[in-house]
Amino acid sequence: MNLNEKFSGIRKGLLEFLVLQIIAAEKVYVADILKQLSATQFATQEGTLYPLLSKMRREGLLDYEWKESEAGPPRKYYKLTPKGREQLRDTLQYWTEINETVKKLGPS
Amino acid sequence: MNKVITINLGGNAYQLEEGGYDLLRTYLETAATRLHHNPDQEEILTDIEGAIAEKFRQRLAAHKSVVTAKEMSTVLDEMGPVQADGEADDPAKPGASEPTDRPEPENAVMPKRLYRIYDGAMVSGVCNGMGAYLNIDPTLVRLAFVLLTVIWGTGLLVYVILAIVVPEAQSPEEKASASGLPPTAQEFIRRAKSGYYEAVKNFQAHGRRHAWIRWFHWRTCGRGYPWHSYWRGGWAPATPLCPPWTGFAVVSLAFLSGTATVVWLCALTSLLATGTLLGLTLPAGLPVWAAALMLLVAYGALAGALKTLRWLSSWSRDPSARPPAAALLAEALVWLSVTLVLLVLASHFFAELRAAVHAVPALIHQATDDFHAWWGTR
Repeated sequence: MNLNEKFSGIRKGLLEFLVLQIIAAEKVYVADILKQLSATQFATQEGTLYPLLSKMRREGLLDYEWKESEAGPPRKYYKLTPKGREQLRDTLQYWTEINETVKKLGPS
Repeated sequence: MNKVITINLGGNAYQLEEGGYDLLRTYLETAATRLHHNPDQEEILTDIEGAIAEKFRQRLAAHKSVVTAKEMSTVLDEMGPVQADGEADDPAKPGASEPTDRPEPENAVMPKRLYRIYDGAMVSGVCNGMGAYLNIDPTLVRLAFVLLTVIWGTGLLVYVILAIVVPEAQSPEEKASASGLPPTAQEFIRRAKSGYYEAVKNFQAHGRRHAWIRWFHWRTCGRGYPWHSYWRGGWAPATPLCPPWTGFAVVSLAFLSGTATVVWLCALTSLLATGTLLGLTLPAGLPVWAAALMLLVAYGALAGALKTLRWLSSWSRDPSARPPAAALLAEALVWLSVTLVLLVLASHFFAELRAAVHAVPALIHQATDDFHAWWGTR
């Protein structure tokens, strides 16, 4: 897909935004995030996601807690910090503005 | 049957096939290298290990306790290469199945270095390594060295110096760096071990499998075909399941044919030197050259039969499972050189043999004279 390639930079930048979105909806662990992304254009892999999550946690956007799972060892469940919520709000607003710009400049 | 290595991932023990273990180690080492400057390196690696362990659990069951090399490869493809500093890789690019197609982050590309590469080398891997370094066919490098040696005589010296000075690529990272490829060493290991696990599975008997593994290492270490193992017998690559008596049969047949050679040489020597066959006088009217010829034919028939028997017993009943030409050539060369050395030594130390060698020209003269006479009577 040509468009996919063309927008790879944009999708790369948006991945963090989408991860914020997913985590904002509910407490999730990594497999949940991957599963939700897998059906979209933003499908990704553990090798990418773990370093990204660690970076976001370092920036104070999210935090995690350990939770027992019915099968296997405890899992890390991620949730947003207040700073993460704020960033998500800002990003959503910015995204809406971009969308409006795209619509406004096109043929009406 | 494969060797199994037990590892600890996130507090649980998992059993991996050796090849899978190599893949996993390379993956984790590469990940650790890329996360080198990441303050959360430890934590990310722990998470990654946990994720891999979870994928193992999905594949294991009550009656399946070992992760195969193939499954490991799939698991690591699913994981995807670990990105440095949370830089998201292009998520929609279908690179999972072809790791080398993925654009690697800058810090992951290995600096190119000159190494000796032993896999597929002919002597010490110098030419192989130079070929990889210059990205040309190692055969061309070898040819250049041979030409340098023949024309200026310096090639050999340069080669020996290089063989001593240049380090050998041992770890997957070094091997990758020898050709400047990114250290997605999965591909490398897969290539190196191609066919290995498939073939090993076919061996039921422990000893035979070990012999084959040794042979495989010999071959992949670039030392060419181990003709001595062919002599030793007891295994056959094309048809692994030989009867257990094969080793014994091969050895005793080789011994028999060796004895036949010695007897033949003694008989020929005594015939040429004294005109008798090991003390027996020849039938009246039979010229010496005819006796020598008959002796040669008899020996040829016997040796041929023994050799065929040896083949049949070591290379099984499948006639298509013939040993490679290189093995036969090596065997013939060794046989020839040993015989020649023995002959030279013997002619130095035994007057009888010297006399026999001196008798050869006269014998040929006599044979041609006899032939002329016989031709003239017609």
